[in-house]
Amino acid sequence: MEYLAKNWAVLVIMIFYVAFCLGIGQWFKKRASENVDAFYVAKREIPGWAIALAFFSTFISTNTYIGQAGFSFQAGLSWAWVGVYWTGFCMISWLLLGPRMRSQTAKLKSVTIPDYFDYRYKSSFSKVIRIFSAVIIIFATLWYMAAIAKGCAHLLTSTLGIPYAWGAFLIIFITTLYSVMGGMYSVLWTDALQGIIMFFVAILMVMVPAMYVGGWGPLMDGIAHTTHLTAKGQPMGDGLMTFCTLVSFAYITSIGFAVGMKQIAEPRCLIRFYSVDNAKSMKFAMIATPILLGVSLACVFGLGALVHGMTTDTEAAYLVKHTDQVVGFMLDKFGNPWVTGIVMAGLFAAGMSSFAAVSIIVGTAFVGDIWTLFKPMSQAKQVSSTKWLMWVYSAIIFIITLYPPAGIVELTAFSGAVFAAGFFPAVFGGLYLRWGTGKGVFWSMIIGIGTTLLWRFGLRFYLPGMKDIHEVIPGFIVSLIAYLIISKLTSGDMPDKEHLDHVFHTQES
Amino acid sequence: MDFLTGMAYWGIILLAIINAFIVFRMKVKIAGEEDEDEKKNVCSVG
Repeated sequence: MEYLAKNWAVLVIMIFYVAFCLGIGQWFKKRASENVDAFYVAKREIPGWAIALAFFSTFISTNTYIGQAGFSFQAGLSWAWVGVYWTGFCMISWLLLGPRMRSQTAKLKSVTIPDYFDYRYKSSFSKVIRIFSAVIIIFATLWYMAAIAKGCAHLLTSTLGIPYAWGAFLIIFITTLYSVMGGMYSVLWTDALQGIIMFFVAILMVMVPAMYVGGWGPLMDGIAHTTHLTAKGQPMGDGLMTFCTLVSFAYITSIGFAVGMKQIAEPRCLIRFYSVDNAKSMKFAMIATPILLGVSLACVFGLGALVHGMTTDTEAAYLVKHTDQVVGFMLDKFGNPWVTGIVMAGLFAAGMSSFAAVSIIVGTAFVGDIWTLFKPMSQAKQVSSTKWLMWVYSAIIFIITLYPPAGIVELTAFSGAVFAAGFFPAVFGGLYLRWGTGKGVFWSMIIGIGTTLLWRFGLRFYLPGMKDIHEVIPGFIVSLIAYLIISKLTSGDMPDKEHLDHVFHTQES
Repeated sequence: MDFLTGMAYWGIILLAIINAFIVFRMKVKIAGEEDEDEKKNVCSVG
């Protein structure tokens, strides 16, 4: 009874939230099972506002609302510059890739990113590229999903006292259940719901420190000249509010690019473009997504710095070295069960939306891009196989979550770099360059991923002054150059004119 | 808060406004829809 008395508000909100997600899955169960087009891309009939919310909630994960928000406790308000980069990449993604991707994938009847490479480039290398990119998706996302499940399980442990293993099981089981039931329909519509929750939770979170100290004026005065110390024991002084006193701009740029670029390269983001229903919706989403993302990031990225206004010197000395605990500390100290419950729902929404998006991407990549190539099957069989594969993959994720390897968060960031180096040239070239070739794609993937590995494990931490240069930057540049040069050198591998005319016939101007 | 730190916050808003302006001026077409537009044009001319 004591447990219920303490946690009833959080439990009520969480139960309603989970019931709603499962309800959406049940609602779309029959429709999603009609054919591959329905299960994989929701028949390209989702309105723009829902896609905008889904893109936003898929890109942002629990790590942003806890890890990045907390890190500004150490880095100060300048940390919001990372949000500028992310918003910029969101714009690039929607302006450059969105409309063309929607058009070309519909013409080519593409339902996954790897099959887009296959159908668009029509090369002797197409099948190899398709399988290779599906394998990258399957392995690179493994760590990402386990990291999300791990973060959510820890949240359940710290807020509701649920044992870690049970917390991981619940998160993975519930998310997979509604994703399997309603396919891309339920993934997109739950993502949209989760996006709404996350947007308002970001605004609520940034208001908590101000409410605690009695307004924005006292809060800003409090953190303008603080007696708290940095992680190295130096006085912060006015560092929280002055530009890059506590963190280097090179590091901000590095994280801004490493994570922000996921929006122009990761299949979980790019697949959102497939499902937009029409041009009007596309335009709406192109405007709405950067607003949703930008406003949320502006609220979240400075949060840790504001929490200084709620802390004593002793508390700050601990938190500055444990920035992942800043948001939990803030909620505990504020002590309002409803606020805690709503914020918790937002944090789970952030984790579950990303997990569901990746779960269906992996299922479709394995079955649609590898299995069916070796063993063709009917559409009904392909949908049911994808569902089973999603369950099997989730079981593997559960085991990894129980025994996570050291440095799983770093592995997650690294996988983002692999996508940027491996996928972006193929996507961008496919959409814009008629002369791009399959051989250019294949070798740019190999060279880009090779460069990423070399920089990460061979150069970054060994060359002086290179520590802050994330592997995504050299990997991306080298991969893009390789694509351009090799495509020019292998022009004989280009698809025929009729195919290119069909693909490039209607584009936005 | 100094100018460059504050710029991160209003810079995000500025980016969103610039983006909206660009999108308003863009003509976005999607495969399948142009066929319907062409049919409408033919009908209206006829």
